[in-house]
Amino acid sequence: MPQLDFSIFPSQFFWLAVSFFTMLLVFSFFIIPKTAEMINLRKTKIDEYLEKAADLKTKIEKTLDKYNQALKKATEEANLSIAETKEEMDALIDRRQMELSANMKKQQTENEAKINAGKEKVFRQLEPMVVELTQDVLQTIGFKNIKPADITQIVQQTKEK
Amino acid sequence: MSNPMEQFVVKPIIPLHIGGVDVSFTNSALFMMLAVAASTLLFVFCLRKRSLVPTIAQSIPETIYEFIHSLLKENVGVEGLKYFPFIFTVFLFIAFGNVLGLFPYAFTFTSHLTAVGSLSIIALLFNVFIGIKKKKLGWLRTFLPKGIPVALAPLIIPIEMISFLSKPFSLTVRLVANMTVGHIMLKIIAGFVATIGVFGVVPILFNCCIVCFELFIGLLQAFIYTVLTCIYLGDAIHEH
Repeated sequence: MPQLDFSIFPSQFFWLAVSFFTMLLVFSFFIIPKTAEMINLRKTKIDEYLEKAADLKTKIEKTLDKYNQALKKATEEANLSIAETKEEMDALIDRRQMELSANMKKQQTENEAKINAGKEKVFRQLEPMVVELTQDVLQTIGFKNIKPADITQIVQQTKEK
Repeated sequence: MSNPMEQFVVKPIIPLHIGGVDVSFTNSALFMMLAVAASTLLFVFCLRKRSLVPTIAQSIPETIYEFIHSLLKENVGVEGLKYFPFIFTVFLFIAFGNVLGLFPYAFTFTSHLTAVGSLSIIALLFNVFIGIKKKKLGWLRTFLPKGIPVALAPLIIPIEMISFLSKPFSLTVRLVANMTVGHIMLKIIAGFVATIGVFGVVPILFNCCIVCFELFIGLLQAFIYTVLTCIYLGDAIHEH
């Protein structure tokens, strides 16, 4: 078995040491620094971006908090304003309703007075005619002795009823 | 059918002796160099146009980097990150050694006890160096953990020493066994292709599946080797 031939050990050891340490030197001074440089640069950049992203996130959160607080304050103010306006409007409506009711009542009283006055006027104008007509009707049906004063009295009584 | 063990024979390419020791440049050394060249070229090619938003090519080395980085951080902790180049190189060296060995006519140096053993010895010496550098003489506590009665020292110290020295051995045997078995299986199945004539297409298809499986095994073994090296490094850095 060639693997068990230890006479080649010095040669194997020598050339392995030469090639291994050559490789170690080449990699230590040229390859590894080149590879590490780019990896570290990338890592630094990524860290920077992550830091920036974290800063931006904090800023956004702060701005969002401010916005939410402003929104909350504005909502509260708006609600307060709405409530105040509603109260004012309710009071105004009540006042207007009361004024309207009073006006309507006044108008009604005036109108009723006018109607009564009108009625009185109409009655006053109609009364002689009613008396005359009643006398004519009564005379026609045979009551010839009825006096206008009696008829006037009866009309007055009926009117009062 | 040729001998499936033949693929593991180390053949000298350039004979070389230093101080009477044979350190010939072999096919194994060639593939070690190729693993270094391939991994370096891949990384250089993928990182030629670097940008903040990575391309597919750029994301390959970066993914491997981050994978090993997190592996080291999880197993050793933040203080282990300064040894990242060593662990990263161990992973890539073994991974490329395993993957290159899957090419036809290639040599898998990670299937050799002497090659992987050498790497494990380097890793062990590295851990010992780190341990002594960090804990000074306190590193010797590795062989006699705190809270153990001194009377038990003659028993515990040899056990801990065996345990300590068996770490590179277990690392080596696990990787070598996996690679050897995989390549023997590939070679045997490939041997059927020519002998069974027209039906040889079946072992070819089967071999394609085995190659995919071996690719997965090769990367998995590189990962396991790296994880265990990280754990041993963690033991060297932290208190026992």
